[in-house]
Amino acid sequence: MAHLLEAGGLTKRYGATLALDGVTFTVDAGITGLLGPNGAGKSTAMKLFLGLLAPTRGSAVVMGRLPYRDPGVRTHLGYMPEHDCLPPAATAAEFLGHMAQISGLPPGSARSRTADILRHVGIDEERHRAIGEYSTGMKQRVKFAQALVHDPALVFLDEPTAGLDPVGREEMLALIRRTGREFGISIMLSTHLMTDVETTCDRILVLEGGGLVEAGEVARFTATSETVFIDVEDRGQAVLAALTKRGLRAAAGGGSISVERAGDAEYDAIRDALAEVGARLRRLGPRRGRLSDIFREPPA
Amino acid sequence: MSTPDGQVFDLGYRHYRGAREGRSRARKALVVNGVRTCLGLGRGGRAKILPVLFLAAMVAPALVLAAIAGLLGPLAEQIRPPGPQDYYRIVSPILLTFAAIIAPELLCADRRDGVLSLYLVRPLSPADYVIGRWLAFFVVSLTYIYAGQVLLLAGLLLDAGAPIDYLQDRWRDIPRWLAAGLLIAVVTTTVPLAAASLTTRRAYATLSVIGLFFVSSSVAGLLATEQCVTTPPAAPGASPVMECRPHLRTIGPLVRLIDFGRTPSLISDWVFGVYDDREQSVQQEAAQIAMDGEQITVWLARPPIATAIASWVLVVAAPAFILWRRYRRPAA
Repeated sequence: MAHLLEAGGLTKRYGATLALDGVTFTVDAGITGLLGPNGAGKSTAMKLFLGLLAPTRGSAVVMGRLPYRDPGVRTHLGYMPEHDCLPPAATAAEFLGHMAQISGLPPGSARSRTADILRHVGIDEERHRAIGEYSTGMKQRVKFAQALVHDPALVFLDEPTAGLDPVGREEMLALIRRTGREFGISIMLSTHLMTDVETTCDRILVLEGGGLVEAGEVARFTATSETVFIDVEDRGQAVLAALTKRGLRAAAGGGSISVERAGDAEYDAIRDALAEVGARLRRLGPRRGRLSDIFREPPA
Repeated sequence: MSTPDGQVFDLGYRHYRGAREGRSRARKALVVNGVRTCLGLGRGGRAKILPVLFLAAMVAPALVLAAIAGLLGPLAEQIRPPGPQDYYRIVSPILLTFAAIIAPELLCADRRDGVLSLYLVRPLSPADYVIGRWLAFFVVSLTYIYAGQVLLLAGLLLDAGAPIDYLQDRWRDIPRWLAAGLLIAVVTTTVPLAAASLTTRRAYATLSVIGLFFVSSSVAGLLATEQCVTTPPAAPGASPVMECRPHLRTIGPLVRLIDFGRTPSLISDWVFGVYDDREQSVQQEAAQIAMDGEQITVWLARPPIATAIASWVLVVAAPAFILWRRYRRPAA
């Protein structure tokens, strides 16, 4: 079967700026994270796949079709933009029903899909209130719902957790996971936050400066990039020696000790080493690999 | 129907297996939504205030005209009170104001709120979008324009002793007001939407459209006002001549060309085949200054028919071009 998305030497130039520079990758069913700092070309890539932009060179293929020439393929795509996109005066029910029809659903089906999808995103009682009265989290869920209301095969989510508090962020990520795993709708999720990708995505594409830096299963990145940091009150050197003795890749620097590539066994070894030395522990915790780690120290 | 045991089922997510009607459904939905937006349907009560007030303001003159005809009764044949041929001239300031206030919201809101970006990732092209919005306000405009004429016709039929005879005499008015209304609605739709395509602030669009219509009319009115000069009879026995021409003789017709506020009236007069009351008032003026038993020949410079048509083409083509440019492929 053809890939869901295929970028072949995909290039987009805006005047003097090269937003995407000859990127080649494929995306299959599941949840794919598109990770990269601002300006890496994530939004540009999405817009190329949605057919909003024409590639300068190369091709963006969606389900075997070229969206820029063949906008009909958008019937099966959903898009949740990063910016505001909701009319404050309309109610969520009215707005979603309208959007379902704009995606080609007949009015009756549009109404029933609207009711279903609002229930899935947890907007029930409030759906007949004007969207302008909603909280940020609720608005974000309506934005998400409008991308799903026509039951697409694939949805593009552009920074879906931007501007949310930690609780709202976790709820949104849970909703995205459920959509991808239980509803069977494939998702391409752009974000600049590694944690979003780690907890939610199956696969990852890392863009930087318009180029593809990494691509692969998320597990590979998280497994190799987790580093445990240990802060002790005293006996730092002894702790370091005890860790090294147990075969851990430990190093001192910046006032703390770091242990690379820690898994369950390594955590046990750290505990034992600290107990043996009798050092007073101030802090011990993982610092998940951040973007910068992936970019500058690709896994060996 | 009742279910004896309260049972809760989690249906989970159900995929949509029904019809997908694509672009044609999208276009229809866009027009219907546009009409509802203009009329404030599906929104709070406050959104309905302006559309209702304007509809009342458009309909009221028609009711007054019908009432006058009714009061005059048989006298109406001689006095000839204003009728369907005058209605558009009477309501055109109300209609233009309505269009300037309501129409821009159709385009401004979608760009301001970012909804446009959701439309354009669906099976709609930018052209579909702008045509759909245009049709929506065109339908609303036509409804408002025709509502008064329909009521006026109903009133006149009720007033007439023999409605069938009235229809036999005056049936030609109906295709005329249908045609004139259509041409006027094209103006009241295209101009405000073009202004709206240039800004996300509805108020700016409204003010610029009102400015265009009313300022252009005032300026043109000043420059094109007829000045009447009465010259004594050229030969004994001939009657004196009262000649009325625009101040600026040669460019008079050209000034009328940019008199956009009056385009609806010019179109209406052209379709109905009447010139405005100017002729009547000049005749009256002449009769007042005439000596006993004297006949004054009145010569009134009329705007040529070409002016009405050219003015309409200008006031439609330029905004249509702006709309086309703005929505050819808007920045995504």
